[in-house]
Amino acid sequence: MRVVIAEDLALLRDGLVRLLRDNDFEVLAAVADGDALVKAVVEYEPDIAVVDIRLPPDFRDEGLRAALRARELVPGTAILIVSQYVEHAYAAELLADPGGGVGYLLKDRIMHVAEFVEAVRRVAGGGTALDPEVVGQLFSRRRKDGPLERLTPREREVLALMAEGRSNAGIAEVLVLTVGAVEKHVQSIMGKLDLLQSAGDHRRVLAVLAYLQQ
Amino acid sequence: MNAPIDSATHEHASEDRRPLPGAVTFGHAVAVQAWASAMLVGVNILIWLFSGAGDFWPIWIFLPLAFALAVHAWVALLRRRPEIWRRPHLNFALALECGVWVALMLFNIGIWAAGGAGSFWPVWPALVLGSAVAVHASIVSFRSPSHQELSERIDVLTSTRAGAVDAQEEKLRRIERDLHDGAQARLVALGMSLGMAEQKFDAAEPGEARELLAEARVGAEQALRELRDLARGIHPPVLADRGLEAAVRSLADLSPMQVNVSVDLAERPTAAVESTAYFVSAEGLANAAKHAAAESVQIRIARRGSVLRMDIIDDGVGGADPDGGGLRGLRGRVEALDGTLRVVSPRGGPTILIAELPCA
Repeated sequence: MRVVIAEDLALLRDGLVRLLRDNDFEVLAAVADGDALVKAVVEYEPDIAVVDIRLPPDFRDEGLRAALRARELVPGTAILIVSQYVEHAYAAELLADPGGGVGYLLKDRIMHVAEFVEAVRRVAGGGTALDPEVVGQLFSRRRKDGPLERLTPREREVLALMAEGRSNAGIAEVLVLTVGAVEKHVQSIMGKLDLLQSAGDHRRVLAVLAYLQQ
Repeated sequence: MNAPIDSATHEHASEDRRPLPGAVTFGHAVAVQAWASAMLVGVNILIWLFSGAGDFWPIWIFLPLAFALAVHAWVALLRRRPEIWRRPHLNFALALECGVWVALMLFNIGIWAAGGAGSFWPVWPALVLGSAVAVHASIVSFRSPSHQELSERIDVLTSTRAGAVDAQEEKLRRIERDLHDGAQARLVALGMSLGMAEQKFDAAEPGEARELLAEARVGAEQALRELRDLARGIHPPVLADRGLEAAVRSLADLSPMQVNVSVDLAERPTAAVESTAYFVSAEGLANAAKHAAAESVQIRIARRGSVLRMDIIDDGVGGADPDGGGLRGLRGRVEALDGTLRVVSPRGGPTILIAELPCA
């Protein structure tokens, strides 16, 4: 899998390069600012760009904007944004970009190497990876008498993992359940929340997030 | 140009307002006068009743007493609630004059009505005095500040600046403490785990080494989380990136309560105003959840002329202490920007926090 990395701190950039190379990714370029990211994506047409949200010159959300710009020029490029903090406003902007293949994770998650690598693969393959903290923010504003209260604790766990973008198989692995059991939970959740079952995982994430954002 | 000067006189008024022990406050004086006037009118009505209840002459006693009481009450109100007149193009004297004008008009209308409601003559004194008020208002609007007003203004700036510096100092100390007890300590522990893991590798005990490494990772995650919370408390990134509305909505999302946010701003205020408004919202939400046991909160932020006005209203139990630690710190922050912060919180609720921040 072919990757471009954008991260302004050399320490973290080198770490990311090493980590991804160790896990059989082909790192085509590792750059330090937004313009260089756009150039690298146009030049190499990678499967995925792993981008720090805060880049020079203004150290705000330059990374996010550059990644979306790059994707306009090279449609189909997956984007994984990593950041020291998460805000669901940014997640909403990423997910609003059509085409899927987006991720938004805390840098903390990189420490869980196996899970992080799995998330990069999932996003590069057109899936979604949303940080549990963003999902937590969405869950925390549910109403006391809302339909989420009708879910069992287990179903709420499953819903949170769905919102993170995990597939049924992925959810089964995290919760140590069989895929069949997860499918049953998913069906029950979709029924209780009046959501349509859709084929792709990304569309499922969008449906769940749209629901949580109501 | 007048607003800051008004705030200067206000600051002094508020210092002077503190009653001496045993002294009668202005509010008491109004109550005593109201009580005495009511007694006097009551006695006269009794005399009128017992003397045959003819032409209702006690009205001629009632009207002047009511006039005097209205003026007194207005003066007391202006001194107690300086925010009434502490605004552009208004000062204490002009507010006083307007109140007296209204009281006098009511008095004249009362005399006119009691005297048989003939041709409406109160219109003439109203016009004359009204033009006097208008002249006064235009003087207040256009004159330049006097030496005394300027020096009072300097006093206020000196004291609010000192307050802001104190608050800043206090905040830095707290950050240092949090770093010392939190992330720094965690990093030390993490380093120790890594060192021990090395030893275990050398001793060919990979199982225990693995455990220590996992421990180190957990420590790193906790340190990151603490640093993130700390950074959010200093200056939340989303505020700089996306502005006040997004930042306040993000606060609302993190809150366990039902929070309604409405923000009506055509353009972004200055960074200082944005960050103060953000921290007013944060403190308001924290208080509503922690002390008021509220279930829902409304935050309204809108630009009114040259002022950013925010209202935070919760449905909790009320009884907030306007001089409690959090609110006092907040007031210092707001006043450093020449703004005002009001807290209305009767027992039983609701609590309303109103902040006005000038943003010319």
